[in-house]
Amino acid sequence: MKLLVITQSRNRAGRTVQVRKDVTADWVRVGRNAASEVLLADPRIALSQGLIVDRNGPVYTEGEMGTMTSTTRKAVRAVRLSPGTTLDIGPYKVSALVPPPGYTGAITVELVRPAENVAGEFLTRAAKLTLASLRLPKRGVALALFALVAIAFFLLPAARVLDLPWRQPEGVAMASDRFWNPGPVLLAHQPVELKCEACHQVAFRQVLDAACLECHARIGHHVAPAMKPAALFEGRRCAECHRDHKGVKATHRDDDRFCADCHRDIRSRANGSQSQDVSDFAKDHPAFRLSLPSEAGARRVRQGGAPIEEASGLVFPHATHLDPAGVKHPGKGRVVLDCQACHHADASRRGFVPVAMKRDCQACHRLAFEPAMGEREVPHGSPREAITVVREFYANLALNGTEDSFEKAFGVPGAGLLRRPGVPSEEARRAALALAGERAERATRELFGSRLAASGRKSEQVSEELFQVRVCSACHEIAEREGPEGTRWEVAPVRQVSRWMPNARFDHASHAQSKCADCHDVARSKKSADVAMPRIEACRECHGGSRPVERKVTSNCLLCHGFHEQKHPWDPRFVPKAGARVAKGPAVAH
Amino acid sequence: MRHQSILEYARFRWFKAALVLSALAGFAYLWHEPALKPYGGTLLGYGLGTVGAVLILWLAWFGVRKRRYGSRAGTVQGWLSAHVYLGTALLVVATLHTGFELGWNLHTLAYVLMVATVASGFYGTYVYLSVPGLMTANRGDETLEAMVLKIADLDDEIRAKALSLPDAILKAVNASLDRSRLGGSFLRIVTGRDADCPTAAAVRDLPEIGKQLSGEAAKLNHEVYTLLLQKNELLGRARRDLRYKAKLDLWLFVHVPLAIALLAALAAHVVVVFLYW
Repeated sequence: MKLLVITQSRNRAGRTVQVRKDVTADWVRVGRNAASEVLLADPRIALSQGLIVDRNGPVYTEGEMGTMTSTTRKAVRAVRLSPGTTLDIGPYKVSALVPPPGYTGAITVELVRPAENVAGEFLTRAAKLTLASLRLPKRGVALALFALVAIAFFLLPAARVLDLPWRQPEGVAMASDRFWNPGPVLLAHQPVELKCEACHQVAFRQVLDAACLECHARIGHHVAPAMKPAALFEGRRCAECHRDHKGVKATHRDDDRFCADCHRDIRSRANGSQSQDVSDFAKDHPAFRLSLPSEAGARRVRQGGAPIEEASGLVFPHATHLDPAGVKHPGKGRVVLDCQACHHADASRRGFVPVAMKRDCQACHRLAFEPAMGEREVPHGSPREAITVVREFYANLALNGTEDSFEKAFGVPGAGLLRRPGVPSEEARRAALALAGERAERATRELFGSRLAASGRKSEQVSEELFQVRVCSACHEIAEREGPEGTRWEVAPVRQVSRWMPNARFDHASHAQSKCADCHDVARSKKSADVAMPRIEACRECHGGSRPVERKVTSNCLLCHGFHEQKHPWDPRFVPKAGARVAKGPAVAH
Repeated sequence: MRHQSILEYARFRWFKAALVLSALAGFAYLWHEPALKPYGGTLLGYGLGTVGAVLILWLAWFGVRKRRYGSRAGTVQGWLSAHVYLGTALLVVATLHTGFELGWNLHTLAYVLMVATVASGFYGTYVYLSVPGLMTANRGDETLEAMVLKIADLDDEIRAKALSLPDAILKAVNASLDRSRLGGSFLRIVTGRDADCPTAAAVRDLPEIGKQLSGEAAKLNHEVYTLLLQKNELLGRARRDLRYKAKLDLWLFVHVPLAIALLAALAAHVVVVFLYW
């Protein structure tokens, strides 16, 4: 098929312009597609609008080829292009002409309704087709949100802290910095929770120790001054271990890492340390050290070597007192004692009050000195007072004693000086005083004298039993010193230990389910020097290390130890960096 | 060449990068033993926070990069692929940075803005991947402009043919000619519907009214009705096109302001954290 296509248009001057084009093809494509032989370049035309085929002359068909893509979706139409025929293809007018010789057909194509000429009333009602055309304020919203966040959450709250120009006078709270608070503070810190500058004293600097020490003025350092803790902890801050805003309960974690970091190899950190290396209670905790009393103060001795002996100055065999058959009681016969008979819990129930003579011993260990008058006892605690009481007692007896008591006390018949008729002669007075003094001297010697010395005189005095229980040396170590004023009795000072391991926290109440003897094996102890403190092995029967183990109490360092050595306060010296901006806080309106 | 979505860009290069980054952050979080509990102020917390902040700035920079047509720093397709995947990884990094410590404060505000921005980004990715196909199918080989022109053309044609029809029909047809509209309001654009479209009403009513007609009038009425049907169909497609386009645009009206607000919150967060160190 050979087709003559005349494209007709008007130039600017309004003259008709014709472009002629010969097309030779089996079929001729009509459409917007650039490959179309008859190109109808108008948006209203489909890419493949139609075809002109040769069916004994040119026939325009539509919809055969382009049914899928044809957007007109018109019904198929076929128009024979016999000369004189005109047809509308969208805005184009196609007219069939008489074909010149040699041509199958001829057509003119003219855009009769150009897009710009469309009446277009509808176009005015289809002007705003996108969100952008509605002028939705994307940037405006973005900038507004930016400003809102910046102003409400930073610029206003920061005005006070950084002393910015729009800072409000005190008491006018425009925006609070409470929204800067990252989390709840420790319960004890909640009174100052809204007063940030109480702790955050210097802007853009980490919380300074001085802020902590304002309240925690008496917090202990980790080690004694001898270890130079300030140098040891140079550059470390409270807040490195204590992090607040992490919940109301704790600012630190019970974590062995804190301790083991240094104590795993303690001498590399602190050369003079007396401690042994430790990283875990179950694994490598060294044997316990006991603080033993001595003349020079406490002396720490590690368990595991020679048996440890204390020097309490007392004579006390536990075995005798815990005899299952009981001990002899002056009034009640044999009495079986248990630990609680002498050891009483203190108010906290954690430990025990020291054993006291009057409360715990004297019911049996009576301090009577005159067999004839068993009720009379010397006061406990001061040898001088005891001797004075004995002297006064016998002097009084020598003055006022009845014949009966006089004879029992002095072993000779007679009566008190004042009970005799007549005025006592100087000689009689001296004799009575000498008698009383000698008797008092003997009684004192019996009280204080060693058991050995006393037993040598037992025949002339009371029964052995009574004698044995009343002497001071039953419990005390006594020294007899001859001086210019006569014999002086010295009772060795008593050093009862109530805290054997002062650096460990131990709560007896928490261990109440155990028997005393589980840890303190005293039933066979015959010497008061025996120390019945448990060894670490006993603890490890129940206590494991920091890693959980079946049937063991998981135990980390802080279960028994504290970090802060209470006796030596933290060094509160601190110098803030010069020029740092200091947060100026109001007296916060809560 | 097969079409490659931004998700598959460069054989999932950025997916792998995001996976590695997230895994590294996750392992670090599990391995790290903080002094008290995990939070933004530990050593790892500062690390994750720095990575997160840099990521946020870089992600925000995409808004600049995509407008720099002359830039030769990678392709915008590559940037978008990285933007999507690294934005997802940011979710992991920033969440681990918080140590799951959230509250009513500026810091959590920054986190929430970040999550909201990323979430809107997820929706945007979904829209970008699903809508263009629907849009193409809906348009066929026409542009929106062509549809509008065609409707205007049809209007002219209808106007010419409907003049001699009875008043009742003419009224309905004129309503379609005079009041049919496209877009114009947020709701109409976004829903792709026009509740009281006079063309739809005319298409609905014309057959009933035309029943009484006969002869030439009936034929003319049928022709007008056919044209109205075409117009109605074109209107429907054009409106759907508007809706698809709006869908592609609308999420950005959320994503961008959230991202910009996030920049403010992030800056405030960082400054405040060190102001009250």
